[in-house]
Amino acid sequence: MKKSLVLLLSLFLVTTTMLTACGGGTKAEEPPKTGDTPKQVEKADTSPFEVTLRHTQVGADKKNRLAILQDVVKKVQEETPGLTIKLDGVDSEVNRKEKLRGEMAAGNPPDIFDVFGSPDAQMYAKEGRMLDLTPILAELGIADKFPNVLDPYTVDGKVYGLPIGASAEGFFYNKEYFEKKGLKVPTTFPELEDLLAKIKADGKTPIAAASKEGWVPLMLTNQLWARYAGPDIVKKIAAGEAKWTDPNMVKAFAKHVDWEKKGYFKKGELGFAYGDITGQFTSGEAPLWFDGTWKSSVFKKGQSGEAMIGKVGFFNMPPVDGGVGEQTALMRDSNNGYGFSASVADDPRKLDAVKKFIKELFNEDMQLRGLAEDGVLPSMAVSEDKLNATVTDDLMKDITKVLSSTKGSFPAWDSQVAADINTEFSAVQIQKLIGGQTTPEKMAQDLQKVTDEVLANKE
Amino acid sequence: MNKALKNPTVFILFVLPALILFGMFFIYPIFSSIYLSFTSWNGVSTHMKFIGFDNFTKALGQERFWVSVTNNVYFILFSCLLQVPIIVIFSLLIANVKKLKGLYKTSIFLPSIMSTAVIGILWGFIYEPDIGLLNKILSFFGVGKIYWLSDENYAMLSILITNAWQWTGYYIIMVLAAILSIPKELEEAAAIDGATAFQRATRITLPLITPIISVVIMLSIAGAMKAADIVLVMTNGGPAGSTEVMATYMIRYAITSFKYGYGNTIAVLIFVFTLIVTLIYQLLIARRNERIEY
Repeated sequence: MKKSLVLLLSLFLVTTTMLTACGGGTKAEEPPKTGDTPKQVEKADTSPFEVTLRHTQVGADKKNRLAILQDVVKKVQEETPGLTIKLDGVDSEVNRKEKLRGEMAAGNPPDIFDVFGSPDAQMYAKEGRMLDLTPILAELGIADKFPNVLDPYTVDGKVYGLPIGASAEGFFYNKEYFEKKGLKVPTTFPELEDLLAKIKADGKTPIAAASKEGWVPLMLTNQLWARYAGPDIVKKIAAGEAKWTDPNMVKAFAKHVDWEKKGYFKKGELGFAYGDITGQFTSGEAPLWFDGTWKSSVFKKGQSGEAMIGKVGFFNMPPVDGGVGEQTALMRDSNNGYGFSASVADDPRKLDAVKKFIKELFNEDMQLRGLAEDGVLPSMAVSEDKLNATVTDDLMKDITKVLSSTKGSFPAWDSQVAADINTEFSAVQIQKLIGGQTTPEKMAQDLQKVTDEVLANKE
Repeated sequence: MNKALKNPTVFILFVLPALILFGMFFIYPIFSSIYLSFTSWNGVSTHMKFIGFDNFTKALGQERFWVSVTNNVYFILFSCLLQVPIIVIFSLLIANVKKLKGLYKTSIFLPSIMSTAVIGILWGFIYEPDIGLLNKILSFFGVGKIYWLSDENYAMLSILITNAWQWTGYYIIMVLAAILSIPKELEEAAAIDGATAFQRATRITLPLITPIISVVIMLSIAGAMKAADIVLVMTNGGPAGSTEVMATYMIRYAITSFKYGYGNTIAVLIFVFTLIVTLIYQLLIARRNERIEY
């Protein structure tokens, strides 16, 4: 009997320890919640606490961007006694499509996280998962410093995220190769096609390509249909006012296929990941590369394209004869930035840390530093003089020249359509088109079918 | 001590912690998954709509879903028809090797302790069309460039080979253990009676290790049904969804499209399909050779 009593007691002990261990975790994490007023916290509480920060600055090409972030983190930590900011780097695509979505579903996103504005942040904000930044922006006096770029992060007039920079898409080209072969930057569409044919005839791959992730080749398709069918066609399609089967849309798809058939893209592109595309250009294999301006960071000191500094140019897709709408329009948006967990509001110390983080990261100096070191265009209003003083390398000059000479712009297609359409297009249809398993007409019909379903479910 | 164990309350107390954990991490998720599979839910919202069997009819009517089911079937067929014979042959060879047995065992087991991500990237280099090892070797024999991971005729095969490479060693160790536990006398007696090495392998060793082979097949089937990581790392379901398996279909069409209800439907379908396949296997094959007596 004695033995069994001992046994029972020890068992009781084990189970209770286990249970308290399970429950203790959450308790220990949030001591300031228990009735402390913010004043007391500021005065007395310097006990260690942690803020988690999910960023996507992984890989060699994002080294400069990571350095900027690390400096900001360091400053915030110095200003806040007891604070440790825990950095968690995840690949951008994985974070956007899998990790953050899973965390949002479970209700435990990191305190600070990299997020895409539309449709991601808007959806999270609607479900109350994101911190309303409107009062913080007012408090810091930067509410009016983001001209026309906060729309993707705004729901019902409240701002839920801040874009880290702006970007545009166009052709990077190998200046050295162009000079050697006597090639010129095309100003009309036939000139561009002529250029592609010449490069092909020279035995090179005209355009670098890595299409394992569908959004990469779709940057070019997007630009093509903006020329053929108009910059605002996707907006109309998403609203049900136009269709993917629009003849001009199909023409744009057909042009992409035409270039595929002529062998203008890197062969075997469907097997290459986005990271591989840089090498195709920097090795000289492909003299043209259609991508976003964020990739200009490759041609900075210490980066993989260091050897090509001063030898890379940038041009806009030339106008198409008979194309619809503004023919200089290019993709320009600022859809990627930082958002904050709604739960931060429950903890005054975390909220304070977030404010400091915003103050340190979103200011003119950091925007200019991002431009100078990382080639990321500013998302905040920056004075013209300072901007001109910062843009010193040829590539950035090229890019700013293109941007100032264009009249219209459009947001990336995938920020305007429902997730279903995005998946169908980027995971299946575009790869089928590249692989020759579908036709432009068939693809347009398949996309329209999914779009119709989405529109029907909305009502 | 015995007294304590006879007491039912003590018994229950002993079992309780395990039961709680089992319920928390196994029973509860399964039932919540089944419940969610009947809803339309975006995963974030507090609003959940009950839609009956709509998700199931939708999934079963999707062409892309059946492509992924077919790819799972390829996984099963490849492992049962090609991988298992290779496993058995290699186990027999290693069991009969006299020298360096430890080296063979270690090197063959090595791939299974590596992470799938590492293996995916490693084989990505091997399959690389321009400078990859495989194409280099093939070009030596006059075979033209093959785009292993970007050509839909080869992409699935490439994944299957990599997957087999990863897990073969693990199963070989299992079969090897079974072979080495067979009493030596049996073989010796057969050898004295004049049986050749081949006869001894097919008539004595093989029948004695059928239970373990049966287990290997079961594990292969279960592994094939839930394969996802290797596909994600190597092709991410591409080109054009041709290497999508059920689990990656679930991630792409449900999780990344904000359709958690639908995602749970796919999860339930994977569960049901796995149950059916293993049940068929149990009834048709595994039942027959359950006991071995020396």
